[in-house]
Amino acid sequence: MSMKKAMSVLLTAALASSMLVGCGSSASTGTAAATSAAAAATSTAAATSAAAATSAAAAATSAAASGDVKELTWMFWDDLDTSTDLITQLYKKNIDRFNAENNGYHVTAITTSLDDYYTKLNALIAANQAPDMITLSPGTYMDVYQQSAEIQPLNSYLDANADWKNSFSSGMMDGSTYDGQIYGIPTNFAAACCYYNKDMFTKAGITEVPADWDTFVADCDKLKAAGFTPITCSESTAWCLSMIAGYCMNRNGVDYDKLNAGTAHWTDDNVLSGINDMVTLTKYFQDTALGDSNDQATANFYNEQAAILVQGSWAIAQMNGANSDIQSKCGVFSFPTKDGSAGDMIVKCDNISMMSTTKNPEGVIKFMQTFTDDTAQKATVEECGKLPVTNVQYDASKAPSQCQDITNILKNIKGSIGFYNEQVYNTEAGDLFDNTMVSVAMGDMTPEDGQKALEDWYTANAWK
Amino acid sequence: MEKMLRSKKAILFFEAPALLLFTLILFVPIINDIWLSFCNYDAINPAVFCGVENFVAIFKDPVFVNAVKNTIFFMLFSLLTQQICGLLLAAILHNFKWGKNVYKNIIYLPNVLSSAALALLFCFLLKPKMGLNALLAMVGIKGPNWLMSVKGYLPLTLWVIGIVSLWIYVGSTMMLYMAGIAGIDQSLFEAAYIDGASRKQTFFRITLPLLKPMTKTTVSLTCIGSLKFFDLVYNMTQSGPNNKTQTIATWLYKQGFQFFKYGYASAMSVVLLILCLVTTLIVNVSINTKEFEG
Repeated sequence: MSMKKAMSVLLTAALASSMLVGCGSSASTGTAAATSAAAAATSTAAATSAAAATSAAAAATSAAASGDVKELTWMFWDDLDTSTDLITQLYKKNIDRFNAENNGYHVTAITTSLDDYYTKLNALIAANQAPDMITLSPGTYMDVYQQSAEIQPLNSYLDANADWKNSFSSGMMDGSTYDGQIYGIPTNFAAACCYYNKDMFTKAGITEVPADWDTFVADCDKLKAAGFTPITCSESTAWCLSMIAGYCMNRNGVDYDKLNAGTAHWTDDNVLSGINDMVTLTKYFQDTALGDSNDQATANFYNEQAAILVQGSWAIAQMNGANSDIQSKCGVFSFPTKDGSAGDMIVKCDNISMMSTTKNPEGVIKFMQTFTDDTAQKATVEECGKLPVTNVQYDASKAPSQCQDITNILKNIKGSIGFYNEQVYNTEAGDLFDNTMVSVAMGDMTPEDGQKALEDWYTANAWK
Repeated sequence: MEKMLRSKKAILFFEAPALLLFTLILFVPIINDIWLSFCNYDAINPAVFCGVENFVAIFKDPVFVNAVKNTIFFMLFSLLTQQICGLLLAAILHNFKWGKNVYKNIIYLPNVLSSAALALLFCFLLKPKMGLNALLAMVGIKGPNWLMSVKGYLPLTLWVIGIVSLWIYVGSTMMLYMAGIAGIDQSLFEAAYIDGASRKQTFFRITLPLLKPMTKTTVSLTCIGSLKFFDLVYNMTQSGPNNKTQTIATWLYKQGFQFFKYGYASAMSVVLLILCLVTTLIVNVSINTKEFEG
């Protein structure tokens, strides 16, 4: 009996001490604040995020404790260790290079999935555990953090380092500039183009890539007549369809800035024309477009089951990796304009922004410079098939042929525009745009009903 | 020990940790959630009190109204199918002389697997070019778009998700009913058989009435589980196409964690909480089990 008692006392003591150990480590890394903030956000996900922040902070503490090295944290939307995305793998190499430089700083990445990225970031901000720098795309998300002064302008740092500032290609920072103040340093960019199968075009009797809308539609008819699926697209992955819709809107002169400001309306004729053009193209999609995911739609192209894929240049590595033959058969053309003139191109940038709360701005700038130096930028195009943001000279023979094609197209475009969901009023408007386009494409909504749905939402939320 | 448990201080001492934990992880967030439902809050800027603005807005929101309709559909569908199938399976398996445990485990197996993983599995099975449609194509039938259907007041996709949900969760209802049936005194059946009752009569006159307390439990669990329905919808359709399969829980998640409208999402969670409480109340009032208690 006394043995039993002794055992139970021992176990109770062990249990209590283990709980205290947990409390001790939490206190040292500020879990209490994170936990209360997570509770404020009323969600399990927020609590999880705060817990993850604690682990990141713990890692930072231990690294900092190992010497005089100052710890930096950078938040990113992919797992650096397990991701198969080539650009993520390059980011990991950049970080390793930065940490090996012995420059007085050490970076720890706080990673998450893209779906949870902003939830986790907001939880960290609410818990006063914001990282030193974050990854952002220009547009609605950057607007949120710029307007709430969570990120800071970088002009003074760029002006102090003229060589670095001048290394960027022109217009690269337009998307992250607010009233002349630059809030993000781009690390790479992707352009949305039409990829086509040269063999299928030849077999269908098409000798030149289409330059205007009418020729584009006529070529789709020729491809269909030759027994090919003219275009592959995923309608279930709504942004794929919306990207095409975004181009159709642009080619009909729809101006998102005017729509956001209320000086143009979703019920305008050019919006209707844009939606109708998108509907026209959906008739050339594969039969299973409605159920195919983006990966399946892309696979249709590199497996030579469809002639045209409208996609961002981020898909180049995926296509070439999956089918080594496709590189030699794949050509690129710009989404046609109505009159055959040079049009705008949709581009998407990854940016690094500096948080206002960082205590080590010099370290953050050094980190940004590592991501934009010649080594990183050459690898961006040669290894990852994305486009560099600086004027770096790269070995064209090492880069995928499609990258060179896109670079040539970029020399002649009228201008660049953001991804459609970066241009609309906010993320909710982007979601509505996605849903509306899918519904119209499915025939569940008429183009006019789609216009009305968008107009009603803007009236209630954006123009009030 | 008995002497110690008579002391109120000792009782409080033992209850305190659980009470504290319960308060911290349940009551405090609920109170905070109710407060936030009266605020505009984006998690970056401080919460600003806005009165009942969020509640007025959600009832004007067509997607929320559709989400309520879908949630009620899932609740009624699950209630009806899981109760009938669960009870039938339990009654059939209870009478199995051999292999009862094997069948029981097979039927219960989906319950212990991750519902997210099962949802993704069904996504593949119901894709246009593979799985079920590929089988149908072999016999010359063009299968429908199982997960992207929008036609009708209750599109096909809702029924598909409901059936997958039934397949996953019917096992737990069956287990509860089996436990209930096992708890019925065997002498009642023996007496009935001696009096010449058939199996059908014993089922309807003995088994079913004596399962009333268990029915109350399973109905409550099914209703509340269905009202919170999230995982299958989120993983199979992402609430699409065009919010056609949206439920209250998925719309709440989207508003909070994708659009950063935490105040608005909190208002929805308050409505969901009230719905759960009302449903539980209705179940408790409508299924009277007093005669079986004590």
